[in-house]
Amino acid sequence: MLLPRFVTLFAGLGFCSLVCAAPTEYPLTVENCGATLTFPHAPARTVTIGQAGTEMLFALGLGDKLAGTSLWFNDVLDKYKGQNDKIERLADNEPSFESVIGKRPELVAVELEWMVGPQGAVATREQFHELGIATYLMPSDCESKDNLVGADGTRLAPFRVQSIYKSITELARIFDVQARGQQLNAQLKASLARSVAAVQDKNHTSALVWFSSASLDIDPYVAGHKGIPDFMLKTLGVRNVVQSDEEWPTVGWETIAKANPTFLVIARMDRRRFPADDYQKKLAFLHSDPVTRNMDAVKNNRIIILDAMAMQASLRMFDGLQSLAMAINSYDLPK
Amino acid sequence: MTAALIRTLLALVALLLSVVAGVAIGETSIEPGVVLQVLANKLWNAGYVLDPIDEGIVWNYRLTRALVAGACGAGLATCGVILQSLLRNPLADPYLLGISAGASTGAVLVALLGIGAGAISMSVGAFAGAVAAFAVVVLLGRASGVPGSTGQIILAGIAGSQLFNALTAFLITKSASSEQARGIMFWLLGNLSGVRWPSVWLAVPAAMAGLAVCLWHRRALDAFTFGTDSAASLGIAVRRVQFLLISCAALVTAVMVSIVGSIGFVGLVIPHAARLLLGTGHTRLLPASALGGAVFLIAADVLSRTLIKGQVIPVGVITALVGAPVFALILIGRRNAR
Repeated sequence: MLLPRFVTLFAGLGFCSLVCAAPTEYPLTVENCGATLTFPHAPARTVTIGQAGTEMLFALGLGDKLAGTSLWFNDVLDKYKGQNDKIERLADNEPSFESVIGKRPELVAVELEWMVGPQGAVATREQFHELGIATYLMPSDCESKDNLVGADGTRLAPFRVQSIYKSITELARIFDVQARGQQLNAQLKASLARSVAAVQDKNHTSALVWFSSASLDIDPYVAGHKGIPDFMLKTLGVRNVVQSDEEWPTVGWETIAKANPTFLVIARMDRRRFPADDYQKKLAFLHSDPVTRNMDAVKNNRIIILDAMAMQASLRMFDGLQSLAMAINSYDLPK
Repeated sequence: MTAALIRTLLALVALLLSVVAGVAIGETSIEPGVVLQVLANKLWNAGYVLDPIDEGIVWNYRLTRALVAGACGAGLATCGVILQSLLRNPLADPYLLGISAGASTGAVLVALLGIGAGAISMSVGAFAGAVAAFAVVVLLGRASGVPGSTGQIILAGIAGSQLFNALTAFLITKSASSEQARGIMFWLLGNLSGVRWPSVWLAVPAAMAGLAVCLWHRRALDAFTFGTDSAASLGIAVRRVQFLLISCAALVTAVMVSIVGSIGFVGLVIPHAARLLLGTGHTRLLPASALGGAVFLIAADVLSRTLIKGQVIPVGVITALVGAPVFALILIGRRNAR
């Protein structure tokens, strides 16, 4: 008589530790990138600086808590378009300090540290905190990363995917939607595992990730060996041919051509600052330059076009991993 | 005469050697034998079977880079000689006339505001900006100048540079994110990585033409070193020659800036070094400066690619690192010679 009850109880507990979680107790204190944040209650109004954070909050079902968004790289994901249309877009790029505080937010969620770092492009964190506005920085951009060195910061240790799970867990706690957070993390982990499984038999490949170039012929901006694109390659068993700690170093085409990677990944983005932002121009360059057109990857057309947002610490990175895995799987490579 | 011939030959050999060094030494290592085979293939159809990537790197990346570096070095040094002689100011350099400031403004206009809707490259924008800035400087110099006075154009150049630098800063603050500005600054600091054959066909003739025009007027340049009055008394059409040579220097510099950005110190230091070695006669000073500039910039570019492995240092940093101490030595040497 007693046994089934125990089983039910245990099953219930086990199930609960996976899916449900105790509600958040306020006031809540969170340690975030060198600052201690205190929340007297779940923030009712949030402004985001960075598309990754914006879409993460949508995924957590918190669209109604958003008062403003900014720093967009691409169009919002289709499934969030309806919600997003109702929220004011403060700026396409970085917003001004006053436009952010004008929304009277209780939380500002920031994707990239240099937006609110010591030389804050928007303002410093202290300026927000003095006004009683909490700033949540994505751990993916501050943990083991020095954002004062190198053009886009320099990673002191390789990027860890755990930092994305951590931001989801923490945001879920701040907003008291922990069950949703756990569910989302479980989905992402499963997605990552599927991608890894898809390329299990493809080994000893190497790749270069080309983001853009200031001018088409000039040394390109490519993914360094500790950043997010490198994590994606590593996860799929691919070696990055670039050996720089910088997030997006410039490397000469001579060095790249001699490294002769198995395939190339080029970024697709809506940004049009440089001609090379257009992936069609990147393709045309690769096929016409007298050196790059002789690279194995170009000759065999092993060029993967990947969304630039998928190369950032965002939910889209997991979709990016899947498309990478599918592309790699489709190549007939020597084992 | 024979001594001069030997010197000329030695100088040409030095130039050839530096080009070969520029081709043989790069970011990655390619066997010297392979490098020579590539050159033999391309120049004499020798028909060696080679890796097309190696071949492309040597012929399309490294050789073009060495040739453009040489042409830029020669062009900038020639312009330096002209301006220092004409303006009788030892601190005159090719960027004195507002050219690099104008080039940045032009490049920024194209890159940030999308002027030309993608049909105009940053280089074309830089060239247009450089010419525009020069025009402003000349007009200002004319409007304010006592005829034949050289001080005015220097002041006009400084004013023009300030104006265009301010304009660039304004445009960047107004419309660029820091990331964008970074790309543009990187390019303006002097960068030879985007050089291919079309740049060679632009830079080499420009440098040659500039040198030819100056050599044509070498007697006039000699006369100008004693001042405009003496030049006039020798029957030189002072204003016409001044205008022609300064415009020539401006155009050559504008071409170079639009291809590789503004590389400092070459145009300032090389003419002084050549003057110390060979005296002030322009018959020798001009070719010597051109050759010196060419060799110096090719060597600086080789250093910029090899000093830190796997990373390219902006060539302007190298020229300044080498140029500044050399310049200091020249200054100290001058004081001691007095």
